[in-house]
Amino acid sequence: MSTYVYGIAASSHSALPEDMGGVGDPARPVRVLKEGELAAIVSDAPEGLRPKRKDLLAHQNVLSEAGAGGAVLPMRFGSVAPDDESVTGVLAERAEHYQERLRALDGRVEYNVKASHDEEAVLHRVMAGNPEVRAATEANRQAGGGTYEERLQLGEMVAAAVQGLEAEDAAEVQHALEPAAEAVSAGPESTGWLANLSFLVNREEAESFLAAVEEVGNSHPHLEVRVNGPLPPYSFVEPGPSEHAETGPQV
Amino acid sequence: MTVVPAQQSGGGGGSSGLYDVLELILDRGLVIDAFIRVSLVGIEILKIDVRVVVASVDTYLRFAEACNRLDLEAGPRKSPGLPDIVGEITESGARGKSKGALSGAAETVSDAFRQAREEGQAEPRPRARKTTSSRRKEEQE
Repeated sequence: MSTYVYGIAASSHSALPEDMGGVGDPARPVRVLKEGELAAIVSDAPEGLRPKRKDLLAHQNVLSEAGAGGAVLPMRFGSVAPDDESVTGVLAERAEHYQERLRALDGRVEYNVKASHDEEAVLHRVMAGNPEVRAATEANRQAGGGTYEERLQLGEMVAAAVQGLEAEDAAEVQHALEPAAEAVSAGPESTGWLANLSFLVNREEAESFLAAVEEVGNSHPHLEVRVNGPLPPYSFVEPGPSEHAETGPQV
Repeated sequence: MTVVPAQQSGGGGGSSGLYDVLELILDRGLVIDAFIRVSLVGIEILKIDVRVVVASVDTYLRFAEACNRLDLEAGPRKSPGLPDIVGEITESGARGKSKGALSGAAETVSDAFRQAREEGQAEPRPRARKTTSSRRKEEQE
């Protein structure tokens, strides 16, 4: 029976989740494997595990529960060891490294911030800030919409301006929030947002971080800013989180 | 301004914020070489170069259309620093032929963005659509 691994914590962790429901259907009960000063939060691995909503949630919930009681190094979803012995083997082998990471992340949580443009507001800004776009728009209107080529040209100009604003705003969001956090890590790029940033925040300073996020929203009315957290420190499990952003593992 | 705090307490979790942090659960976190990872077929759809979305003929045409219809005066979030000259140009340009269509301008603009983004997701990977929908179905199980 292979072993699903949720995360690694110190064996002195006061509230490791046991017997709570983990991944699989029916949910496999969560167990704790101890090896010296480290502990792995595990369960049996169900056959044919896939990234289904229910299993992703189970992974996340087990880690949230464990993280509430002390530092935990969250595993990436879907990590399966051949058996319990290979898990404790890895703990023994890399004990020093994991202990260093647990100390570094003690009392810290991750907040993920995503920003996207309010579409209408950003087009207003593009028009307001670009005389060329205004002139081209006006010319097309006069011509009853403009030819295919003219419309293409205008659209390309607008797209370039929108992209420029996206890059500008992404840098600004990061710049504004960095001072309120201990580290920052760029999340995977994708569609739907112009900035995806994870911040490592001391639990005790969470309130001032959230206030900084709100301030960014207030001072940038054309941005939609969403913050998720506190999360297990997914983005900070490797040393040097600021470099991690540039050189992090690519899937 | 829209700031949506999605608090996840230590004990609960809840599904509301799951989609928002999906890429972290799947793409960040500790990896141990000695362990295997379950197959994440279909998940790579998350990683799409944003530039692809904006740079396409369809997107250009939509932007052009959106700008032609954009009512700079009536926008609910009119930019505070908007120069007067813009208003004049828009007024003279919009008066008459496009006045009737202006009420729908706001929706058109957001639709253009949304469609552009959606198409950008689908276009570079024609086979991805099926994978995505089957994945979604699985997630809802």
